[in-house]
Amino acid sequence: MSTPASPSVMSALSPRDTAESRDRRAELAEIDESTSGTVLLFFLAGMAWLLIGTLFALIASYKLHSPEFLNQYAWLTFGRIRTAHLNAVIFGFSAEVAVGVVLWLMCRLCRVPLMAQSVINAAAIFWNVGLVIGIGGILRGDTTGIEYLELPKYATPILFVAFALIAVWTIVVFRFRRERHLYVSQWYILAAVLWFPWLYSTAQLLLVLEPARGTVQAAVNWWFGHNVLGLWFTPIGLAAIYYFLPKVIGRPIHSYYLSVLGFWTLALFYNWNGFHHLVGGPFPAWMITISIVASVMMVIPVVSTAINHHFTMVGHFGKLKYSPTLRFIVFGAVSYTISSLQGVLSSVRWFSEVAHFTHHTVAHAHWGMYAFFTMTMFGSMYYILPRITQREWPSERLISLHFWCTALGIILYVVPLSYGGWLQGKAMLNATTPFLEVVQGTLPWLKIRTVSGLLLALGHVAFFANLIWLLARRFGPYRQPEPMILAGVTPAAPVGK
Amino acid sequence: MGIISFILIGSSLVFPAVAVWALWWAGRNGQLSHSDKAALLPFDEQEPVGRMTDVVLNRPRALVSGSGRISS
Repeated sequence: MSTPASPSVMSALSPRDTAESRDRRAELAEIDESTSGTVLLFFLAGMAWLLIGTLFALIASYKLHSPEFLNQYAWLTFGRIRTAHLNAVIFGFSAEVAVGVVLWLMCRLCRVPLMAQSVINAAAIFWNVGLVIGIGGILRGDTTGIEYLELPKYATPILFVAFALIAVWTIVVFRFRRERHLYVSQWYILAAVLWFPWLYSTAQLLLVLEPARGTVQAAVNWWFGHNVLGLWFTPIGLAAIYYFLPKVIGRPIHSYYLSVLGFWTLALFYNWNGFHHLVGGPFPAWMITISIVASVMMVIPVVSTAINHHFTMVGHFGKLKYSPTLRFIVFGAVSYTISSLQGVLSSVRWFSEVAHFTHHTVAHAHWGMYAFFTMTMFGSMYYILPRITQREWPSERLISLHFWCTALGIILYVVPLSYGGWLQGKAMLNATTPFLEVVQGTLPWLKIRTVSGLLLALGHVAFFANLIWLLARRFGPYRQPEPMILAGVTPAAPVGK
Repeated sequence: MGIISFILIGSSLVFPAVAVWALWWAGRNGQLSHSDKAALLPFDEQEPVGRMTDVVLNRPRALVSGSGRISS
């Protein structure tokens, strides 16, 4: 069904909008073609940040067990390079690929070609200029020192403008949609693009521009730090899973009611979770208790989402053999359940008193941000890129290499480091254990972490090589005169069921 | 601090209000009902239910259509 729209506004926003097209839902190929340039811009910039961030990560990880490594360069010291890594992968790779996926999903689900392309392209340019200035500033030593808000304050207004443009664009697309009913992915996306500017601006105001003091500072820091993962990246990751899982296997989601329940309970409970990071700290106990209660309530959206994803896949696991998208998305969906339930456990006092301020928390963060979110974004890119370039992935081997290196790499990262972090926490609670002994006890786990980082880096390079090869087939000097055979199959084909 | 306090208090009122309005709007516009129809929204006549849309690895030749284009 179409929604009422003002033709003049629509025409201004979208050159493809005509009186004839206005009342019909756009064809999928038309939508894919319209999003091509802009989505590619976000994906390529995101991939560049991923490679840069991975290099920073390897240096930082190696320094944890060999601190003399590159210590003659101030800009490569641990405090700067680790912070630059975090910001490059969070605000460079994750955020930009997420926006690319959001653009494509919103256009497809709203059934409109990409409109106001210049606005969204400007947002991409602003975003990357802000990041180059910000991460350059961090390497120069200009970090704010506030977790997840380390970018210096002369860079963040540029990022805020960019994101405001993205949020406005999303709302405009929603307003002029040609499909009246919303799919659950759109709920998650719309919420995420509204939540992030709120979180970011509030945290910037209260922590960087006019810093609050004492307890309020800690409260705002963890309100932002936890919610930037849970109310920005998580909804976009779930939006992608709810779209690609049914879409790839050709089966509607098991229970739409459960998906809506999952969305609204996440919206209700997640916002309160951040203070559980302050268990044992100089912070009002009642605020921590409320946060723990809300964290435990997160079992409702997590389990309802897990049930929904699992029962959608039942009987279709054989299709994992054929679809790279499905492999990454299923890995991401399972990781969402595990990392979220681990997060619930970590919020409880007796657990947190041992695990927090250790490498266990680092492992948990990577479980969420990499095993869930990044793997889901990889899966989404595997689906979207052939459609917007009209070319197929050139190398199956590189796809397999990418999947196995990243899947095994992140398992090798998370499992040993979680265990090592727990041992570290137990040792730190033992007053008779010298602190140096505790630090030395972490070394084997940190060395495993570096090995896992090398595996992840190999996977990223394989993906990037395949992506460049794909683009060369479309745009390069060796471009193919005709697109390759298609990725889909005929409706009657009984694939892998 | 006056302007900042105004912005913070304003935004902390506006955003929850938007959330409540969104829930009210969803209920009023039937977004919370017709769940069978909503679950079908990713599909259409071009990519219907029952059709796998991403076959890239280990592809059986018999399943590949010869149109030379991605399925969208």
